[in-house]
Amino acid sequence: MKLLLFASFLTLGAHEIGTTRATASFTADRRYVIQITTDPENLAEKLDGAPAQTLLTRIQLQFDGVPFVPSLRHENGTIQLTGLYPAGAKTFQFRYGWTFTTYSLTVDGRTLWIEGGDTTDTLPLIAAPAETAWQLAARYLGLGFTHILPHGLDHVLFVLGLCLLSLRTRTLLLQVTAFTLAHSITLGLSMYGLVRVSPSVVEPLIALSIAYVAIENIFLRELKPWRLALIFVFGLLHGLGFAGVLSEAGMPASSFFTALLSFNAGVEAGQLAVIALAAVAFGRFHAKVATPASAAIALAALYWTIERIAA
Amino acid sequence: MRLLFLLILPLAAHDMWIEPASFRPQEGQIVNVKLKVGEQLIGDVIAYDPARIHRFEFNATPIHGRFRAESAGLHRIGYFSKPNDVELPLEKFKQYLGEEGLEFIRPAGKTTIKENFSRCAKSLVLTGPANASQRDTALGFPLELIAEKNPYLLTPGASLPVRLVYRDRPLTNALVVALNRAAPGEKVSARTDKLGRVRLPLKASGLWLIKAVHMIPSDPADYHSYWASLTFELP
Repeated sequence: MKLLLFASFLTLGAHEIGTTRATASFTADRRYVIQITTDPENLAEKLDGAPAQTLLTRIQLQFDGVPFVPSLRHENGTIQLTGLYPAGAKTFQFRYGWTFTTYSLTVDGRTLWIEGGDTTDTLPLIAAPAETAWQLAARYLGLGFTHILPHGLDHVLFVLGLCLLSLRTRTLLLQVTAFTLAHSITLGLSMYGLVRVSPSVVEPLIALSIAYVAIENIFLRELKPWRLALIFVFGLLHGLGFAGVLSEAGMPASSFFTALLSFNAGVEAGQLAVIALAAVAFGRFHAKVATPASAAIALAALYWTIERIAA
Repeated sequence: MRLLFLLILPLAAHDMWIEPASFRPQEGQIVNVKLKVGEQLIGDVIAYDPARIHRFEFNATPIHGRFRAESAGLHRIGYFSKPNDVELPLEKFKQYLGEEGLEFIRPAGKTTIKENFSRCAKSLVLTGPANASQRDTALGFPLELIAEKNPYLLTPGASLPVRLVYRDRPLTNALVVALNRAAPGEKVSARTDKLGRVRLPLKASGLWLIKAVHMIPSDPADYHSYWASLTFELP
């Protein structure tokens, strides 16, 4: 029945094929995204200064025969239509009346050619299968890891700072455990909305914490108890920073805890990777590089502190 | 004024014209050429597809969407498409016959009309100074509009004599329409005389599109239409 539906398009004649392309996708949690990519210059000509929302006058969307008005975002020739489709919707129809040419509509991996201004036939609404718990966990694990390597240079320098004091297993393990424990606490509390600290406070303090650890490396050669306590406090700060990133990336409505746990595990894996790389890179020359490298890290961190306060 | 366009519903059939990035290129300049489909001189670019093109040329040399203005003079860009097929409900088809001045076609006995259409577009661009010896000549498209005066010598308000030929013969009593980019709603139109000629008063400077459509009965499609257009920029 589905094949028949698509085949009917092939028999229709066509006008010239233009450069407009559209895709429609539907998620299992009832969201739809229709994206229309068109020549920005042509679109500007058509709008002639009118607000982008005017585009909605020539866009029609129906689910099971009932019209819905999508929210519209437009940027540089790409029009994005989003919204929620009604629960249990089986079909949809779409019309884009802002092109004079034939355009393509790709839906569920198939491409249909549609005359600008024509309404499509009734098309089956096929939602993408929901993400499994494993896929979700893997996605957030990756997000956590890449937030350290390669995106989180400040966190990398902090962990390097810990390594530069000593690469002895016990020293390193104590510091990393204190740090991890602390940032897990604030990441969790802040994701559940129990703690809220403005990034304008957290971000400069994170930078300052890196500077502190690096500067201490220059003057100390062993692990003092107060350093461990301070690292715990710094961990609390970094956790708040991680929470900011995770909130920006967005959390799934369900599987909240899985996502949080996976992200945190990703961050740990990122940290361990930094330690492993550090051990390989300067394990043998530790004594030689500790002071100059710490000085360099301190300088960078102090610069960030000032930069972040100014911002 | 263009905002009027927001209120205009797309018609059954659209104009097609050639729009070079510059109508007055310098000698040696490379110019991109857009093939546009639309209404009121607002249009979409046609995706470049060699399989659907008979001829696309600059001064009789095939091009692929750009040309180099090698020397001074009046240059002709030509585009002749392979036929496209459309199917239209009878009512929509009749409406479009009225819009394009093709009332002599009287379809009957069918609810859906099958039509082939071919685009025969031309654009005149000028490099260097204009003079009276520069002439538009026929490219040999089935339906073709030929400017009988160098439009780059006209001033706003003057009339441009245009000849319409179908298969090398004057096409009489055909509707020729001219529109200007600044005021596309204010169309100028005239029917061709026995020699296929019209004189069109061109009030404003800027981009002008002159267009005409001819249609003949066909087989296996019911009809074959030819869409001639001529673009240039009035000084």
